[in-house]
Amino acid sequence: MTIKRRTFLAATSAIAILATPVALSAQELPGNVRMVIGSTSTGGDTYQNSSIVAEALGEHLGINIRVDAVGATEAFKALERDSSGSTIMIFHDQSYLGHLYGVQGYEDPFANYVVGPTVAINPGNAYLVPADSPYQSMEDIFTAAANGERVRVAIQPGGVSEIGFSAMKNAASVMSPGSEDNIVPVNTGSQSDKNQAMWDDLADVINGSIQANEQFTQLPEDDATAMRFVWITARPGTLEQAPAEGMGGTSRDELLQYASPQTSVTLDGAEDFTFDKEFFFLFNPDMDPAIIDQIDTALTEIFAAGEIQERQKASFFIPNFLPSEEARAHLTEKRDTYGQVIEQISAE
Amino acid sequence: MLEIITPLFLMLIVAGTFIGIMFGAIPGMTATMAVAVSLPLTFPLGLENGLALLLGLYVGGIAGGLVPAVLLGIPGTPSSLTTTFDGYPMSKKGEGEKALRIGIVASLVGGLFSLAVLYFFAPPLAGFAIKFSYVEKFLIIFFALTVLAALSSDMLLGIFSGVLGVFISLVGTYDISDGGNGKLRLVPPGTEYWLDSGFSLLPVLIGIFGLTAILAQAELGMPKELDAKDIHVGRRSTFSFSIFGGQITNLLRSSSIGTFVGMLPGVGGSAASLLSYSYAKTFSKTPEKFGKGEPAGVVASESGNNGLTGGALVPLLSLGIPGDSTTAILIGAFTLQGIQVGPLFITNNPVTWDAMIFAMLIANIAMFAMMYFAIRYFALLVTVPKHILFPLILMMCVIGSYTINYGIMFDVWTLLIFGLFGWLAVKLRLELAPFIIGFILGPSAEVYFVKSLESFGDYTIFFTKSWIAAALWVLIIGSLAMSIVLAIRAGKNGTQDG
Repeated sequence: MTIKRRTFLAATSAIAILATPVALSAQELPGNVRMVIGSTSTGGDTYQNSSIVAEALGEHLGINIRVDAVGATEAFKALERDSSGSTIMIFHDQSYLGHLYGVQGYEDPFANYVVGPTVAINPGNAYLVPADSPYQSMEDIFTAAANGERVRVAIQPGGVSEIGFSAMKNAASVMSPGSEDNIVPVNTGSQSDKNQAMWDDLADVINGSIQANEQFTQLPEDDATAMRFVWITARPGTLEQAPAEGMGGTSRDELLQYASPQTSVTLDGAEDFTFDKEFFFLFNPDMDPAIIDQIDTALTEIFAAGEIQERQKASFFIPNFLPSEEARAHLTEKRDTYGQVIEQISAE
Repeated sequence: MLEIITPLFLMLIVAGTFIGIMFGAIPGMTATMAVAVSLPLTFPLGLENGLALLLGLYVGGIAGGLVPAVLLGIPGTPSSLTTTFDGYPMSKKGEGEKALRIGIVASLVGGLFSLAVLYFFAPPLAGFAIKFSYVEKFLIIFFALTVLAALSSDMLLGIFSGVLGVFISLVGTYDISDGGNGKLRLVPPGTEYWLDSGFSLLPVLIGIFGLTAILAQAELGMPKELDAKDIHVGRRSTFSFSIFGGQITNLLRSSSIGTFVGMLPGVGGSAASLLSYSYAKTFSKTPEKFGKGEPAGVVASESGNNGLTGGALVPLLSLGIPGDSTTAILIGAFTLQGIQVGPLFITNNPVTWDAMIFAMLIANIAMFAMMYFAIRYFALLVTVPKHILFPLILMMCVIGSYTINYGIMFDVWTLLIFGLFGWLAVKLRLELAPFIIGFILGPSAEVYFVKSLESFGDYTIFFTKSWIAAALWVLIIGSLAMSIVLAIRAGKNGTQDG
């Protein structure tokens, strides 16, 4: 009997030990998942995009996914605390740009978390001038800076809003060394603050977006709030995927005039600087890789079905699914390019 | 337009208003939270139906904050803070029901007034609102801060409490989303992990008003004779619409202030009700009655904060710029449907525009009907024995604090810390209302002050920027002078009484 019990216990233990890795490798997303995002706004593009992805993923896997707009700092904390797969995160390029610009609360996401699949691009990052501005194009702005004129650019410092500004300074420095000092930042906050800076004549150029600012470009020139696009940072290949009717009263072809190569902001004298705001997953570094595989597989199937793309396009997002491994390689390369631009500007 | 007004559309407005009132009435839950939670539901509903639900939640949520402010002395939403000043004393005097009815009528007037302004004057008013740069916005906040002096029973201690509130509100990161440098300040070493985002407003607010009251009661003990029959629901003094006979000016002035402040992005609803309250007190023939259960205080506060609802939609629908945190979420409903909100919104989307106005109108009427006729049931809350009521309030405060920022445990600690702080502060003769006003207005005051200096270079800009700035200085000086006169008069009366 004793032998039998021992045998039984030994066998049970052995099975348990053997079964553990099997059970772990088969680990899946739990039934209730919290998707934290790096923005506190439920009216912004991160929430909007994450909601679309969460709904599709939840439906496909038969689980509940709730999007919580806790903001970057709290989202990273939540992700750090939970390796079970109950907490996942969606954010965009701000996650590594914040780190590159040295913003408090932004650690290197490539070192501290696992970068997961990309899901979409917001191609809307843009720069605008008042409708009655003397600057008709980016070329005019660079010429003015080269002629010693001070060009004030309203941005939100430390991330997506600043990267285009850094690129402007970099291009000015490549084209006419020293002229970059004449392109100066006006640090503001929200989009409304940037618009207000323009209307108060505190800024000559503002960072904005196609979605938020396009209607101002349709106003008559004598309207005090009227604006004009001068630069859209998206890659031309990205904008070409936007619906032909474009956004509001501006067709896709018209939008393309403000993007590379028609509007050039040089990176190094040969190539143009471009920036697409891409949304991607971030995971706890200790989370079971099987869960990442599960998300990759599910998203592959969801994007193959094609419905999600329609919904993304309806909200002026460009579908951009890349599975984890490809996404990591792509985003690492992107990070390195922007890192060089920021380093170069900081060194000058 | 008519094809949009379906039974579903109407049902969503009414349901949204009802749920909004519930959110507003529970301490710790807000209109913003109600709209945020319901946002994902709007995609399958379609734009007009989705907006019907959200606008009902918005109107109901703002109005619902009145209930705990009057009955429990806990502001249901930050903008109903000033309702506690006179609503709660009225409730303690056995006039809770009367205070609620006054508040509901004032809410309806404020809501309809701002709706009319939105409908008829949105584009030109938005054009005027953009003349308010950092400088003018700072001066408006500064003007609201002058209320500190008027609200204090001891002016020096009141001002000290307010400044302490401002100081504590600045703990944390000077956020880059406010145009800051992203660096920490005023954070003690070792607490960076918890305090990097500072203290959240709502847990501080309900800690100071909810938990402090519970701790104070716990200290006193629960006398046996204190029973339901001893707590007056409020039938002692009956409500009559004739109360509003002398309040027409107050109603219109407060509704106008609420609507106007709502139009200024980043200034916020609390400033609207504070300014309305301050004006009502300044122009009252009996300012000394304010803070002791004066109906005019409830009228000013509620018409002011409901005036905000239409006002905050003016910049949203005319410029695509949200006027407050709740309308910032409403933008999500448009973008989820692929609709741009900007200066051409009203021209390009006349049906949606009309549907929104109609939904707001019905929501205000539904709010009035539901709250006015259900008051007796709301008021019954006060008859619940405190040994049952207080644990329930505490539980709701904890849940509200935990959920306000989507599940951050430090917010619950904030609630407890500030509950304890409030209890101690009363013993130290600090004044809680000025403290919380300083805490609410501090962050905006800082941002607009710093940005004014960054943008314009020197201090003279606060006096020379525009005629609006000059006019605001006149109001600020008038408000301070009035506070000093009132304090001197109160001192003399005190001497005579003594």
